[in-house]
Amino acid sequence: MLIHHRSKPSIPSRVVVIGAGGFVGGAIVRQMELDNIPTVGLTRKDVDLLQPDAVDKLKDILQPTDSVVVVSAVAPAKTVTMLMDNLRMVEAVCEALASTPIHHLVYISSDAVYTDDANPVREDSPRAPTTTHGMMHAARELMLELSTQAPVVCLRPTLIYGAADPHNGYGPNRFRRQTKKGEQIQIFGEGEEQRDHVLVDDVARIAALALSHQSEGALNVVTGVSTSFKDIAEIVAKQFDGTVVSQLRPPGPRPHLVHRFFDVTNTCKAFPTFQFTPLQQGLELAKQGES
Amino acid sequence: MNPIIGYAGMTHLGLNSAAASVAHGFETVGFDPASDRITQLQNGVLHINEPGLQDLLTAHVKRLTFSSQVESLKKCHVVYISSDVATDSEGQSDLGGIQDLIATVLPHLSPTAVLVILCQVPPGFTRNIPFSSDRLFYQVETLIFGRAVERAMSPERYIIGRDIPTREIPSSYKIFLEAFHCPILPMQYESAELAKISINCCLVGMISVANTLAELCEHIGADWQEIVPALRLDKRIGPHAYISPGLGVAGGNLERDLATVCRLAGEHGTEASVVQSWLDNSRYRKDWVLRILHSYVLGNTPEVRLGILGLAYKEDTHSTKNSPSLALIECLHDWPIQVYDPVVSSSVLEHPSVVSAKSILDAARGVDVLMIMTPWAEFREVKPVDLQQAMKGRVIIDPFQVLSGSVCTSLGLQYYSLGRPLLA
Repeated sequence: MLIHHRSKPSIPSRVVVIGAGGFVGGAIVRQMELDNIPTVGLTRKDVDLLQPDAVDKLKDILQPTDSVVVVSAVAPAKTVTMLMDNLRMVEAVCEALASTPIHHLVYISSDAVYTDDANPVREDSPRAPTTTHGMMHAARELMLELSTQAPVVCLRPTLIYGAADPHNGYGPNRFRRQTKKGEQIQIFGEGEEQRDHVLVDDVARIAALALSHQSEGALNVVTGVSTSFKDIAEIVAKQFDGTVVSQLRPPGPRPHLVHRFFDVTNTCKAFPTFQFTPLQQGLELAKQGES
Repeated sequence: MNPIIGYAGMTHLGLNSAAASVAHGFETVGFDPASDRITQLQNGVLHINEPGLQDLLTAHVKRLTFSSQVESLKKCHVVYISSDVATDSEGQSDLGGIQDLIATVLPHLSPTAVLVILCQVPPGFTRNIPFSSDRLFYQVETLIFGRAVERAMSPERYIIGRDIPTREIPSSYKIFLEAFHCPILPMQYESAELAKISINCCLVGMISVANTLAELCEHIGADWQEIVPALRLDKRIGPHAYISPGLGVAGGNLERDLATVCRLAGEHGTEASVVQSWLDNSRYRKDWVLRILHSYVLGNTPEVRLGILGLAYKEDTHSTKNSPSLALIECLHDWPIQVYDPVVSSSVLEHPSVVSAKSILDAARGVDVLMIMTPWAEFREVKPVDLQQAMKGRVIIDPFQVLSGSVCTSLGLQYYSLGRPLLA
């Protein structure tokens, strides 16, 4: 459950987004602009968190009244090297925060921090990641929480989709691109695995709400509706007049979980009037954004 | 000669127990250090709501004395400590109050008086009381809010904790206990204290089973109410099993015992993860109505007026401790609400836009959604057609099936209840 240090929302004096050049970071910057919030978007060109000058650069930029969003990551962190790089990146942020007070910190984490058998997943489900990617986010959450006196909120989105997605992982983004190119959508087996997918703009809207309330704690950024990959594929196929085929021999590893569901009660309590974009509508928005 | 019985602490427990004592023919003293409470009781005004209690006290008032003077207990042969033991939000007991009360009472007992701890205390508490062990007892209370009189008048059994279980019970106490014509089970202090906790754990275990499977019913097209009779006919489960789904455990007492088990398991290194799971399940179920409301109404229709029937944590009580209704209302500050409860005033609510309704239909008038959060008997009397005519919207969330789902749906209402899929 989140604690709101501001029960009534107010506009942060300035938001610094570390990782503004990425898929999620870019969406958060756009949301800040929509909300007329003074924002500094830092990309790798501005501050490369793996370089020795990163700490000093951050110290020069950060002010005590800043709300800071940390979203920069080399993701997904599939290898040990990537894991360690990601930790070093946040180590630089932590070092800067250790000597620079700030107002609030938002960390964009992931639902990969949870144990695989949590069902439905809640914010108090054990943080017991089974992947290097999940371990990376779990470790970064802890590192950041320990490095600042400011309230820290960890937002844990599930599978994110949107026009600018760079990963092209199995799911809405790959399906959309396959059909756009005139290819058939290929699903593993019968595509029966159910997952929750969240539109990147909704992640940004939740981040904006957390910033305006100076929230503290952890919140899953999930819609509460899990849909099978087959159903998603069929929605996308219909949008593009494409077709779906079952692929008996998947090109990569099959998703390790059969289904994943989330309990969204804490979102209902933290942001009662927030409404997630329904999947069909979100897929349509992603299609429009990419065309 | 019948012994004189005293109760220190005119709480829900103490008052109902005292009423049962006088009703069984015993002269009884009800002591409480709070003089305003005693004045109220002397004037026949009860500070609690319990079916049948007022009538019972009125019928036997001649044998009952209320006093705020601790010396009034001097003449009693048996004195019960019947104070409330407060709990925090995690179910942890604050034993300071009962310890203070015992310290107040002890110097004023007669040299042969029997002292009985009737409150919920953790194992080990009674043995540590500085009182002669041959006259010191712990007695399990099994009060149920709303059925307290019935339970006090006709207990299923008395579970008695003492230092040496085989030792003869003092005659004054024995005469009193035997007047209730039920089995008397003496055991060690710690066994009796844990017996109380064990009873509650069994109940919560059954409730958790019902909640878990009822939720599954809601998703697979089964109806838990159809399954319940089959379970009750199974001798291993029984006709009185606690297998009705609910909105999590509430009231404070069950939560206290679960917290005590978790604490003791932690202190002694025993495995009790299932108890933590019951607590998790309870917290999850408490938000059932909120989830239904968001999933089926607020997600599509953000501008709504809400009606709520019931504030008490269960029917026939004024208690709102851990009430699911109050927990729900706390999450609905963005919407106007109309509330009605037969006993609990809406003044307990901190909501920016609450209307206190005068009746059931008053609460239903003009609302888009009506939620029946406490299964009060009078709610069962209302006709769904009257609700349908009073409401603006068509959604009824009735977790406890106070209304007939089939009648509601025949009127074009969307009807949500625990343990079965949406009826529409």
